[in-house]
Amino acid sequence: MTTSTELTISRIFEAPPELVYRAFVDADQLPQWFGPVGYSVPYESVQSDAEVGGHQRLVMVNDKDPADRSTIDTTFTEVVENELLVGHQDVPGLPGATGTVRFRIRLEFHGEPGGKTRLELRQGPFREGVGGDASQGWESSFTRLDSLLRRSL
Amino acid sequence: MAAADQLSVIFAALADPTRRAILARLADGDATVTELAEPFSISLPAISRHLKVLENAGLIARSRSGQWRSSTLQAAPLREATAWMEQYREFWDVSFDRLDAHLRRVRQSRGAEAGTSEGTA
Repeated sequence: MTTSTELTISRIFEAPPELVYRAFVDADQLPQWFGPVGYSVPYESVQSDAEVGGHQRLVMVNDKDPADRSTIDTTFTEVVENELLVGHQDVPGLPGATGTVRFRIRLEFHGEPGGKTRLELRQGPFREGVGGDASQGWESSFTRLDSLLRRSL
Repeated sequence: MAAADQLSVIFAALADPTRRAILARLADGDATVTELAEPFSISLPAISRHLKVLENAGLIARSRSGQWRSSTLQAAPLREATAWMEQYREFWDVSFDRLDAHLRRVRQSRGAEAGTSEGTA
């Protein structure tokens, strides 16, 4: 049996779609916001070509351990300026696993009243066991559903 | 999309006390519908309906062979996918907080260039 899930996020930004879209495709802007706390995206690592068949590549480097680097490589399959980015994305697999996993990613930029943008993100599928030995390095991260199940049972 | 909101399906499945009790029973080992029904004062068809909900949520698997279909707890693979996905959600949440701040800076510098003090569009 395969369990498959897709991540969906909806978020309002206090800026019009043109600005939010640019922040996603402009190689100079991506390093200023993309990635988790404690990681940096070197400017020279960013390539961004927002057209069908174009790539967006960047590297996230751990501030405390420069050897800890993750490359994200997106290939765009649909591009509508200021409105839509669709592509597939090769990302690092589960921690402890080697190699990359391919996700679909879809970003919709919807204009909202007051010069705002509603971003709709869909990313997935997240499948069981994808990325190799999923049991390694993950037990400590299972707290959320584990504790929920414990409280429920 | 079939997997559009698997988490909602999972949490809906977990919301029912009978279904949670069934999962607790299956944590001790596989069981048939009759075995699962024993502790409850409800009918076999009712238990079957609960099993269907748990199966649809990916929380159990049911053997297809023979007269005595047994059910197996499937929580572990589900936890993997869910925990992994939640890491990505956190990744985006943190990035989007930073993007908020970045967009504020972009709008302020644009406002300054245009000679306006506030960047309210």
